[in-house]
Amino acid sequence: MNMNIKLRNTLGEIISAAIAIIWVYSKLNAAANMSIVLISQVLVKGIGISILASIFFAIVMSIFSSIITGSYEKDIVDERDTMIELYAMRLSGVIFGISIVIILALLGWFNLNINFGIIAITLAGFFASIASNFLKIYFYK
Amino acid sequence: MAKKKINIENSVRRLRFDNDEMTQQELADLVGISRQTVVAIEKYKYTPSLELAFKIALAFNKEIQDVFYISP
Repeated sequence: MNMNIKLRNTLGEIISAAIAIIWVYSKLNAAANMSIVLISQVLVKGIGISILASIFFAIVMSIFSSIITGSYEKDIVDERDTMIELYAMRLSGVIFGISIVIILALLGWFNLNINFGIIAITLAGFFASIASNFLKIYFYK
Repeated sequence: MAKKKINIENSVRRLRFDNDEMTQQELADLVGISRQTVVAIEKYKYTPSLELAFKIALAFNKEIQDVFYISP
């Protein structure tokens, strides 16, 4: 499969967001008994894992690509990338906004713990990020 | 004036070959865009901004209407 640097980086972001989702989701059941300090730590660690994994995948994929192709591909950002980025951000914003409303409604409806809601909103952010990255892949293909 | 969708096409691919078989990467470097954007323009999947269209025309030493035109 012929993959350019944009597709590789987008794929890396999807994988890193998926890793962060798995990690944060594993803390979801324990959330009800956590203090606000522990919840904050989970959120910061989850976001940190996502950022670090994203950097790690970008470096690893860049190294592998250079080894396979024998040349270094520069990541040039032009007006088309900016336009695609804007579409992706719009989709991400819509998904995140709808998710927050649904989560808040579910919290009230089922009388759930607020910690559960905070973690669910963070997960919704990661899902929105994945959806926007899939939209980017659709445009780049 | 009635709303009518216009199809903007271009002769970038032909002009590249007329210019010593310039590669997509060479054109991309000349105008400061990525090779993927050149590919998208050539396949009519992306219509560049007026500024970029002028840059591409200048890269080929042509008038903008010689590079980009409305398909009949």
